[in-house]
Amino acid sequence: MSDAETMADSPKKKGKWTRRAFIGAGVVAGGALVVGVAVRPGNPIDRLSPMLANGQDEQLLNAWVKVGADNVVTAVIPHVEMGQGVYTALAQMLADEMDADWATVRILEAPADKKYVSDSIGRDFLFPDLEVPEIFEPTVAGGILELAQAMGLQFTGGSFSVRATGQRAMRTAGAAAREMLIAAAASEWNVPATEITTENSMLSHAKSGKSEPFAKFATAAAEQSLPAKPKLKSPENYKLMGKPLARHDIPEKVDGSAVFGIDANVPGMKYAAVKAAPVVGATVASMDASAAKAMPGVLQILNMGDFVAVVADGYWQAQQALNTIDTQYSKTEGDDLNLDGLFARYDSYLNDAGDDGGDIETEEGDVADAFVRATTKVEAEYKVPFLAHATMEPMNCTAWVRDGKCDVWSGHQAPVNARQAAADAAGLDFEDVTYHNAYLGGGFGRRSEKDNIEMAVRIAKATGYPVKMIWSREEDTMQDHYRPSATSRFQGGLDADGKAVSWSNIHTHLFDPQEAPTVPYYNIANHKIRKVDVPTHLRFGPWRSVDHSQHGFFIESFVDEMAHAAGKDGYAFRRELLAGSDRHLKILDLAAKMSGWDQPLPEKHGRGIAFVPSFGSIIAQVAEVDMSGAKPKVKKIYVAADAGFVVNPDGFIAQMESAIVYGLTATLYGEISIKNGAVQQSNFHDYQMLRINEMPEVEVQIINGDHKRLGGGGEPGLPPLAPAVTNAIFAATGTRIRELPLSKHSFA
Amino acid sequence: MINLTINGQEKAVEVDPATPILWVVRENLEMNGTKFGCGIAQCGACTVHLDGQPVRSCSTPISQAEGKSITTIEGIADEDGTLSKVQQAWIDVQVPQCGYCQSGQIMSATALLTKNPSPTDAQIDAAMAGNVCRCGMYGRIRQAIKIAAGIEQPTTKETIA
Amino acid sequence: MTIARALPLLSLILLAACSADPVPGPTEQIIVREPGDAAVETAVATPEADPELALIAAGKAAFANCSACHAIVADAANGVGPTLYGMIGKPAGAVDGFAYSDALNASGIIWTAAELDAFIANPAAKIPGTTMVAGALAEPEQRRAVIAYIESLSAS
Repeated sequence: MSDAETMADSPKKKGKWTRRAFIGAGVVAGGALVVGVAVRPGNPIDRLSPMLANGQDEQLLNAWVKVGADNVVTAVIPHVEMGQGVYTALAQMLADEMDADWATVRILEAPADKKYVSDSIGRDFLFPDLEVPEIFEPTVAGGILELAQAMGLQFTGGSFSVRATGQRAMRTAGAAAREMLIAAAASEWNVPATEITTENSMLSHAKSGKSEPFAKFATAAAEQSLPAKPKLKSPENYKLMGKPLARHDIPEKVDGSAVFGIDANVPGMKYAAVKAAPVVGATVASMDASAAKAMPGVLQILNMGDFVAVVADGYWQAQQALNTIDTQYSKTEGDDLNLDGLFARYDSYLNDAGDDGGDIETEEGDVADAFVRATTKVEAEYKVPFLAHATMEPMNCTAWVRDGKCDVWSGHQAPVNARQAAADAAGLDFEDVTYHNAYLGGGFGRRSEKDNIEMAVRIAKATGYPVKMIWSREEDTMQDHYRPSATSRFQGGLDADGKAVSWSNIHTHLFDPQEAPTVPYYNIANHKIRKVDVPTHLRFGPWRSVDHSQHGFFIESFVDEMAHAAGKDGYAFRRELLAGSDRHLKILDLAAKMSGWDQPLPEKHGRGIAFVPSFGSIIAQVAEVDMSGAKPKVKKIYVAADAGFVVNPDGFIAQMESAIVYGLTATLYGEISIKNGAVQQSNFHDYQMLRINEMPEVEVQIINGDHKRLGGGGEPGLPPLAPAVTNAIFAATGTRIRELPLSKHSFA
Repeated sequence: MINLTINGQEKAVEVDPATPILWVVRENLEMNGTKFGCGIAQCGACTVHLDGQPVRSCSTPISQAEGKSITTIEGIADEDGTLSKVQQAWIDVQVPQCGYCQSGQIMSATALLTKNPSPTDAQIDAAMAGNVCRCGMYGRIRQAIKIAAGIEQPTTKETIA
Repeated sequence: MTIARALPLLSLILLAACSADPVPGPTEQIIVREPGDAAVETAVATPEADPELALIAAGKAAFANCSACHAIVADAANGVGPTLYGMIGKPAGAVDGFAYSDALNASGIIWTAAELDAFIANPAAKIPGTTMVAGALAEPEQRRAVIAYIESLSAS
């Protein structure tokens, strides 16, 4: 622990341990098991081996790769698959470095065990800008690893899998495995290791004509010491990385055989439907279950204090019986709160903060002075609503608690965390819980919470037999951990040449990432960004791209307003702000070029541009919008992206398409509103989803700007979408949208 | 006792006749490919065919299937396991992400192409608008339907600038 | 640029090390029966002798096609669809507080058994633009039964 503490206390720290970093730090994965754990006493492979190898004929070369007698190379993936293609991309990275035969590579999700944790994500979250000298790498890694183990968490999110786990762990593991195989073969063949080549899971020695499969040397290789610094390939030697390889998980997703959390099938299991108190924090004051008791199939009716559950022979029976239960709830402070009242509360906190209050997030120069002296002053206030995740697979979990043991089945973004939550709920030790993870029917941040796990375990503990708990869509919508609603106020100053000289922002809440409200990439000499925390009883949670989802809209709307005030084009104005940042400018220019920015559009059509770097990737988008009808029609989105180096281009493009639809759904329709403390929306009829008939055309181009520093893919496509669309609406109509969603506005 | 045919096999199930087809298929027949999404016929994740017609199985009672033939995602490949044209196109275009809605998408697309082997974009939109995909793979779904219909060929685009 | 915040790591570690609060069990547990025990006999309805009552009973069962979205009791809260209680004889779009489609509001229909039959046979064909996307009943007998059931709750 001392290394981590030293690092955190050092003056050059940028320690940013936030709520999500707290989750993220647990993550798994990393070169650490090669560089970190390897320097620690004891051989971790001995302990991990029984969890992964299924017989005498398989050898675990390190924590991330095993080789079978059939010469099948299996990549052990310490992240969960929720559609982002992580199984495939990470396996690509490992297999490329190892020179494994892609046609036979298999994929295994790492067990939900604390031993599968390491430095990579923890360090990135803690010290995002810290360059660790290579000589200290093992020490730092070891320190953070211990920290991560203490937390006992594991997480997939933050668009980190490829850029952290993949770059630091999977590639290192693959390269190490390859070197160990070569060393074993060199010893057996009695030839220099440097003369041995590898390709398609084969080892060859050209001079002697020897050629054997990896499997032949797997046992001997496993006895080799781990190379301290395996040599990674340079990009010109990549064979798999950078190729749009087909995803491994897709075939089973077209024939119905893919197993999701909701598909758990445990012999003898029964089904539970649940209803939690509509106002978070309330408890069940009374419950009249007289009708439910007489309903067919009903086994038990449980008042769990914070929720009611019906257990029955079938889920539908349980839900039907639950619908008849008349429940009264305790009064809470949240009961009087409506959405308008909440925004009024935000206003009052922002007003109280005035010009100097609140918490300063970043400050440079003298904003007050620059603003006073500015030739043109621009002010604006923006608002966004709460948003639910609405994963297609409603929240669920299956649990069985008996004889001092607990088994849990679900699809979770943080399996180790889920296992710990189950242990706590069952009153058992971590070691007594077996957690079975499955595919996630959408994650988007929602499946990083533990509420569903705890509820199912509590029900199963009460019944004693296995129970599959399924939330109705209504429950899923009303009991989410929401993207926060927020208000953000700006003041900007322009000099006589229309150059931005001051930028001041104060907004409600800060969740994660910490840099989301900041604009370090824009050249503005004086800037100051503050926040105020406003209490609400609603639960917040990470929602695809987290705080960037609102700050992307706030920042890029205000930049557009400043451009307009300066009498400049939005693209040209951003070019000035990015002067000197070549990587950034390339992406902005590419998006503009793709869209034909200077070309005329039909009447009532408009283009809008937005630029948001997030999660290590640089993204610019141009939206083309048709405002000739009563509702905005988004016709096309152009995306230019620099994620350092894209491991699987087709998978990356799919993530861009996906983030655009997720963002556009929120931009057009997304709003969770509150009445008397409770969420008003319940299902897809009042929490509307984008459908195929509204799908814009999407065109993506990628620049590989830095193969050493990879960016994320799952989240960064989202933040520029909303402002690109609203800036396009402004271009087409002159109407500036300062509050989302667009369904609140009339364009007739 | 309700008698029905599912994917060509005759079955008898002892359930409340009001039980939606979805839960009979998943819980009584233990076929999990058909998914629960909303329970009110708004998302299409539960789409199956009833005598060839696409229906939302979450809102269609099993009594409706008495004496009829249900087809689920598990029943659209050939008997030898060869994937249907729609399924193969879904792989060619790499449609699924999380995959949860895809059984329903494929069942809706299959029904569309049976009725209309060469649909226009507007006809695809009309037939598929009842199926929500939160991963937003609508562009790929449209393309895969055209490939399955033979209207378009799979393409690879140059995307690295 | 300065970043003016850094939570001490140690406090979080201590936080993580704290054991969770004891998780509450049920405050009330009603065990109706154990798994494997025979289900409680539910009364089997005797077949209605009166053919009209039999049709209404059949309609009540078939209403399961509709009940995910529509209530059929007086003053019920609107669900995905409006309550259907007492609808026969009223103009389309009559239930207060329900956000009907423009198409349905503009249809000018007065709900009769015949109009309703045509609508639920194929909603989108009868009223293009309706938001009723599910619940079509292909079989005439079933439609007749459901309509009889709805009528029985309109006349009273």
